[in-house]
Amino acid sequence: MIHFDNVSKYYATKQGRHYVLKNVNLTLPTDRNIAVLGPNGVGKSTLIRMLGGADFPSKGKIHSPEKISWPLGLQGGLQGSMSARENVRFVARIHGYKNTKPIEKLVEDFAEIGKFFNEPVKNYSSGMKARVAFGLTMAFDFDFDVLLIDELGAVGDANFRRKSEALLKEKFEKTKLIMVSHSLGELRKNCQAGLIIINQNLKYHADIESAIKEYNEYYVKTK
Amino acid sequence: MRAQKRTSFQIMTSTVHALLMREIKTRFGANRLGYFWAIAEPVAQASVMALIFTLLGRSSISDIPIALFLFTGILPFKFFSKLIPQVGAAVSANKALFTYRQVTAIDPIITRALIETVTFIIVYVIILSTMAWLGFEVLPDDLLALLAACFLLLTMALGIGLLLCCAVTYWPDAGKLFAMIMSPMFFISGILYCATMIPEQYWYLFSWNPIFHLIELSRDAFFVSYTTPIGDWYFASSIALTSIALGLMAFRINRHRFIN
Repeated sequence: MIHFDNVSKYYATKQGRHYVLKNVNLTLPTDRNIAVLGPNGVGKSTLIRMLGGADFPSKGKIHSPEKISWPLGLQGGLQGSMSARENVRFVARIHGYKNTKPIEKLVEDFAEIGKFFNEPVKNYSSGMKARVAFGLTMAFDFDFDVLLIDELGAVGDANFRRKSEALLKEKFEKTKLIMVSHSLGELRKNCQAGLIIINQNLKYHADIESAIKEYNEYYVKTK
Repeated sequence: MRAQKRTSFQIMTSTVHALLMREIKTRFGANRLGYFWAIAEPVAQASVMALIFTLLGRSSISDIPIALFLFTGILPFKFFSKLIPQVGAAVSANKALFTYRQVTAIDPIITRALIETVTFIIVYVIILSTMAWLGFEVLPDDLLALLAACFLLLTMALGIGLLLCCAVTYWPDAGKLFAMIMSPMFFISGILYCATMIPEQYWYLFSWNPIFHLIELSRDAFFVSYTTPIGDWYFASSIALTSIALGLMAFRINRHRFIN
């Protein structure tokens, strides 16, 4: 379970406070995969970042007894001036591993980006970043209860998709997903439930199809 | 290979360790040339100054060899003026790493303060040992007081650094303004001269400056033959305490601004 206690999140802009979420009270189940739906700029990434502890609500609290991963996405997570290997080492160290070699090896094998593994991450293509970001979470085997994914699948090639899907399937038993994607096909395939951001609030649907339906009615303009 | 439940302190130690490994690499460069520069820079500076003073016909100041006199001013000042911008930029340089919940804004600050302090101590010891080898008398008269002066310098720099760190989130050019303020400080903080060389009626022009006080105090501690007429422990400590308190408060209030 993930609990939202009166959560508000706003950003200070030149035109005053821009609210992403306003007084949200909600309990999300963590026994199924949840798709986060909403158009660009509505706050999906912010939500994922807050769930992962990378950002904080302006007011209120999000808390959960489960082990939630950090947000896996193309922004953040990998420091551009460091190579993938250094990033992997860093993450291993903050999690208390003294010997980082086996983890480096695992990520290197998963990412399959060859010599670029030792180049600064800022020189990577987005697909390469996605491979490293994904490999990083998988290699550790932290036994996360919930894995947060922010549009990682979109940039991967067929090979990477096949690999990552196989890995996820293997973990589905224990690890559930909360994912953001603009590909409804991908969401349908992976998720059973949906979460829509509407009017600075979160609306949970236990069924993905009804979530997609509401999303289409509310956001998708049909001429 | 599941990670065990760790205490907050253990998490912080591993985070600082991880940041330390990362920062050392960027601070001293991948080719290790940075270690060389850390020592070469103050040595070069002091040597040029010592040369100028010697050519002017001055080889000692109150019985203190000129090179040693300069080092005891230049090194603490360098430490101070280097630590502040380092701490000020600590958060922005590690932004992407805050994605991980283990990493909080104070961690890179602690890391950089550690790196600069250890570098300062190592450079100080290396330079003094080299001078001892060249035949100078380099043992500090009152080591404890010297350490106390350095500690106050660290506290003050850390406080100002934290304030700078907050200031840049409101106004990115704050760092440039700070560099502008710092550049004349080298000449008015008693690095190339000491209080006894200034006529007494002009002391008030210098006595407001806490760095001047600390450099005076550290020379007082270092040399038996020098007694500072201005350096005031009470004044320097109050400024240091005030700046660290303000710095920590500002940092605490602004902690959410450092993320995203």
